[in-house]
Amino acid sequence: MAFVNDVRFAADKRAILARLRAVLPPGALLADEEELRPYECDGLTAYRALPLLVALPQTEAEVQAVLRACHDLKVPVVPRGAATGLSGGAMPHEDGVVLSLARFRKILRIDPLARTAIVQPGVRNLAVSEAAAPFGLYYAPDPSSQIACTIGGNVAENSGGVHCLKYGLTVHNVLKVRGFTVEGEAVEFGAAGLDAAGLDLLAVINGSEGLLAVITEVTVKLTPKPELAQVVLAYFDDVQKAGNAVADVIAAGIIPGGLEMMDKPATHAVEPYVKAGYDLEAEAVLLCESDGTPAEVAEEIERMKAVLEKSGATSLVVSRDEAERLRFWAGRKAAFPAVGRITPDYLCMDGTIPRKRLAEMLEAIADLSAKYGLRCANVFHAGDGNLHPLIMYDANQPGELERATAFGAEILELSVRLGGTVTGEHGVGVEKIDVMAAQFTAAEIEAFHRLKAAFDEKGLLNPGKGVPTLARCREYLQTRAGIAPSSVSSDAAPRF
Amino acid sequence: MDAVLKEWADRVRDAAERQGKLRIRGGGSKDFYGGAPAGETFDTAGFRGIVAYEPTELVVVARAGTPLAELEAALAEQGQCLPFEPPHFGYPAVLGATAGSGATVGGMVAAGLSGPRRATVGAVRDYVLGVRLIDGRGELLAFGGQVMKNVAGYDVPRLMAGSLGTLGLIAEVSLKVLPLPVAVRTLRFSIDEATALSRLNEWGGRPLPLAASVWHEGALTVRLAGARAAIEAAQAALGGEVVADDVAAAFWQSVREQTHPFFAGSEPLWRLSLASTTPPMGLGPQLIEWGGALRWLRGDQGAERMRAVAAQAGGHATLFRGSEALKAAAGAFQPLPPALLQIHRRLKAAFDPQGVFNPGRMYPDF
Amino acid sequence: MQTNLIDAIKDTAEGREADAILRTCVHCGFCTATCPTYQLLGDELDGPRGRIYLIKQMLEGQPVSEKTQLHLDRCLTCRSCETTCPSGVKYHRLLDIGRKFLNERVPRPLGQRVVRGLLQEALPRPWIFRPAVAAGQMLRPLLPQALADKVPTAAPGQSQGWPEKSAHPRRMLALAGCVQPGLAPNTNAATARLLDRLGITLFEAPEAGCCGALRFHLDAQEAALADMRRNVDAWWPHVESTQGPGVEAIVMTASGCGAHVKEYGLLLRHDPAYAAKAERISALTKDVSEILAAEAERLKPLLAAKAHPPLKLAFHSPCTLQHGQKIKGVVEELLSAAGCELAPVADPHLCCGSAGTYSILQPDLSRQLRDNKLAALSAGAPKLIVTANIGCQTHLQSGSALPVRHWVEIIEERI
Ligand SMILES: Cc1cc2nc3c(=O)[nH]c(=O)nc-3n(C[C@H](O)[C@H](O)[C@H](O)COP(=O)(O)OP(=O)(O)OC[C@H]3O[C@@H](n4cnc5c(N)ncnc54)[C@H](O)[C@@H]3O)c2cc1C
Ligand code: SF4
Ligand code: SF4
Repeated sequence: MAFVNDVRFAADKRAILARLRAVLPPGALLADEEELRPYECDGLTAYRALPLLVALPQTEAEVQAVLRACHDLKVPVVPRGAATGLSGGAMPHEDGVVLSLARFRKILRIDPLARTAIVQPGVRNLAVSEAAAPFGLYYAPDPSSQIACTIGGNVAENSGGVHCLKYGLTVHNVLKVRGFTVEGEAVEFGAAGLDAAGLDLLAVINGSEGLLAVITEVTVKLTPKPELAQVVLAYFDDVQKAGNAVADVIAAGIIPGGLEMMDKPATHAVEPYVKAGYDLEAEAVLLCESDGTPAEVAEEIERMKAVLEKSGATSLVVSRDEAERLRFWAGRKAAFPAVGRITPDYLCMDGTIPRKRLAEMLEAIADLSAKYGLRCANVFHAGDGNLHPLIMYDANQPGELERATAFGAEILELSVRLGGTVTGEHGVGVEKIDVMAAQFTAAEIEAFHRLKAAFDEKGLLNPGKGVPTLARCREYLQTRAGIAPSSVSSDAAPRF
Repeated sequence: MDAVLKEWADRVRDAAERQGKLRIRGGGSKDFYGGAPAGETFDTAGFRGIVAYEPTELVVVARAGTPLAELEAALAEQGQCLPFEPPHFGYPAVLGATAGSGATVGGMVAAGLSGPRRATVGAVRDYVLGVRLIDGRGELLAFGGQVMKNVAGYDVPRLMAGSLGTLGLIAEVSLKVLPLPVAVRTLRFSIDEATALSRLNEWGGRPLPLAASVWHEGALTVRLAGARAAIEAAQAALGGEVVADDVAAAFWQSVREQTHPFFAGSEPLWRLSLASTTPPMGLGPQLIEWGGALRWLRGDQGAERMRAVAAQAGGHATLFRGSEALKAAAGAFQPLPPALLQIHRRLKAAFDPQGVFNPGRMYPDF
Repeated sequence: MQTNLIDAIKDTAEGREADAILRTCVHCGFCTATCPTYQLLGDELDGPRGRIYLIKQMLEGQPVSEKTQLHLDRCLTCRSCETTCPSGVKYHRLLDIGRKFLNERVPRPLGQRVVRGLLQEALPRPWIFRPAVAAGQMLRPLLPQALADKVPTAAPGQSQGWPEKSAHPRRMLALAGCVQPGLAPNTNAATARLLDRLGITLFEAPEAGCCGALRFHLDAQEAALADMRRNVDAWWPHVESTQGPGVEAIVMTASGCGAHVKEYGLLLRHDPAYAAKAERISALTKDVSEILAAEAERLKPLLAAKAHPPLKLAFHSPCTLQHGQKIKGVVEELLSAAGCELAPVADPHLCCGSAGTYSILQPDLSRQLRDNKLAALSAGAPKLIVTANIGCQTHLQSGSALPVRHWVEIIEERI
């Protein structure tokens, strides 16, 4: 489905090609369609655009030179990490240059005493934890894509992970970001200490989806590895019971190291890959982790088991050793791509709602699945109320993507009505740009645009993403006004 | 829209039209902090109360003028807390006291200050989930919400934390809260500064339930908080001398509220936020918090020197308390490099084009 | 992923296979993380996901040039991406189909054709390759640097020859292979001696030759199929023996050959004369580690019987073993059982850069990978490096002062 980017620029490919050739070494610039196509999308393949050029710089000076050239010639720049994004954030702009940070892959320094790592943006999330492991430390935010996604991308999306309930999102674990404004000015947000002078721009850079600055260096906090971690698998014969159990765990005053959920279609997809030994009969499984000292864990696991049992778990399994614990998590982390085994394509939603509404939402999703005639697997960061319904479709069948998109839009709108948000961690990108109008007023959207302009007056960094133009909002609201809200009633909890 | 907020918005719009300046004020407990307040006083105390609190969701929503003490009491009733221990600075003697008698929730977010537990649990900004604010055009805007994760649009709620009211009038905030720790214990060690710093950093790299630290005059005081078993294990590993619970509670309160004798007197108080591993600086009397990352210094060592030392250590120096004259000369906050200053100016113009809110409170030029 | 293959391809068996593979890929990018060339080059086009895309657009009828060829040539076929892929994408099959299709459309320049032609002809033929190694001359003027690294390094370890006479009722076939007899004759001999002690007679079928992998990956898929049919013919009488029971297994001591022979069934499935036989051959084919693991009950007492000084070694698991045949931890366990201490090795999933003829065709990348791998292997200060494939063995040896041997030799020395 073509995404129509309504922010366009008059691009002169020859001029920008000449400028960039002059500042980049051989092999760092791609210009032929044959080479550009594979860059046309990120982890969300439904939306694609062919860039003018792809630049693959290796030094900050090269990044700066690329930015200056693009700024001079008014050419859009789309930063790109590993392109595992699920909202089209790194999808190219047709009139612009893709600025890949994939060659910035050095871990510059690990300081075990200060518990920090200074890394280039193209370093993979997992590589940071691997490098810190000899010191008994790790980088806490662990998106399921951590094997591949980059720290630059994590900062740009403010990514979460399966252990974020207790250990925070990216924004909570980053001390400092170095980067360049679109004008090519070097800037540093944050500090080596716990706060910095002035406004908290670091907080804004986190989750800015490449619209405010290009990140070239990140200082992250490292966390000491707990002495012990164990995970309880709680199986349920009913998805909604599992949803309610999540709220029950938190209500019992427990903050688990991780609290995740998969439903039956999801476990069926991952089991052949991980061979974790999930119970494939159960309708849903909760993964509930405890970490700390052995005594602490033993006590907490007992409390967790008691709550989960009371919430209707049909059986409970506790990981016996570290290898098994990791296998249980590996299944959860591979869940999205593993769904590729049972469907050619999927759309992954990312709405976040108050935990107590989980069961309601699950019921609504089941109804919508029937309404649209599309299967849906559910994988949740349950503890955070962050839903990832995976809507399965076949892009080769005409009309299926459109149906899947409409299905998704209903879930997101419902998320907002239930007092939540359209995106908890994957970002707006191009995917959720229209539905932003369901969550924000025109005045709020305008405020976002003004904030953006404070960093990027000409609007050249990743244009047309993240925040819709007001024209887009109007169009969306008009189209949706014609469609009755989904069959599900809700008492329209205010977002505030 | 609530009637109060409508009225507020009108007042802001009116000020913007006539080039007026507004000095936003909650309880006035942090009037001393930052540049000297200027403009007509705009009291937020009239808009108070907890709007929503669901302990099982770990979220509370409160109006800006809600006394911080009231909020904390409501949380405590449910066994929860604001883990970052925001300082009140002027704790009201009586709960439910009226305006001007203590810190407010809006002021807490705007000031962005966090207490002893900050180093291990995060700062105010880490717990802000949403805000409703009135910008300099008099528009009521809502950002963020009541869920733990939210990346729709830029993170304006966190930007508000520590903005000192320069970007907008905070009307309502939603905050993440956490259960109170099951157990706490305080240990004391008689060691010098260098030893304390190296131990704190070394301990920080181990999975210990650390929840605050203070080094002052040859004594390192450490608080542990968490599950009982974890505390027992940590105490066994660390040693030290156990401080009686009531004495310890009073001690941490005195650090959080700066009623500790170190903070008494009229000498300038500098706040240096730096890399926790920064070696002893030999700049005069100090009190060290946050595992070495926060160093309070007394005396007039010269703003330039302080700021150079802080920058050298990867951080910044704030003239936290000092005479108006000194503040006017040195500025309260570390000057920004040109590229950042430019972004600050533009952000100010984006949110508050007429410069209505808290002029000069953060930096002299906006 | 959405696909739109051109009709001419869609309607062929290979086209259907390619389409199905493409549609399993959900473009998540996990595989880029473990791809050795992406890690070195940082370009989407040099990673699996980008290569899949390049192949997709080619099969969709987009113009294709030597640019695509370059990026596909840089692929090591190490299949690390397949191990990582949660969606089960059969990348190497797609690559085979893509390369074949590409070669029909983008002719190679003369120089490349000559080199590839020579390699196709020389390497798989022991009677050319062996004298060439001995003389160390024949290919040298053509390929100075790449082969200068390769030619002189015959593997360490003295061959003590095959067991004098071994006539157990249990019999297994071994593949002599093409380059191994010239470079590391002790590998099969040691395996034969070891199996003899376990009561199994190992023998080679003289008519069998190169397994076909070399040519298959050198744009000569038809010639490779001929190699494969010849091996099937050579082995078949021993499988369906007229005198007594057939062999229990066909033992592979080079994991590269093993991975390929295990695919005979797949690759010959459209040849009615060979499909069934090939499938049977593939099913009988086992890596030597699988055989020994199955005989562990009898092997362990033999190992325990003799005391040995502790030996610290680093094991490099060839891609064809860990990714191709998905055999993991088996060799390590056998070595531990033999009293060896295994040095930890970082990034064990990464290829050493040997990859068949890759070291000759992509010398720069190959050398970088080799040097990185050797650094990882020697980080734990081992006395010795062991591996499971002749290509890796000689390639690593060309850059290492430590001896590099086949692990089975170590086991054999310890009983
Ligand atoms: C299977 C799968 C599972 C996932 N699981 C999770 C999960 O659990 N939690 C989660 O939060 N996300 C998850 N994601 C989404 C995705 O992995 C994250 O958003 C990740 O942070 C993206 O990193 P990346 O390097 O791939 O960035 P990209 O996709 O390349 O880019 C993402 C955005 O960041 C910008 N960007 C990238 N690098 C820079 C830079 N250096 N400077 C400025 N801007 C930059 C881009 O312009 C783009 O807007 C998952 C994705 C997949 C495919
Ligand atoms: S890991 Fe598998 S599904 Fe994901 S991009 Fe690679 S090949 Fe495709
Ligand atoms: S086979 Fe190896 S080199 Fe080729 S794409 Fe896969 S991982 Fe990369």
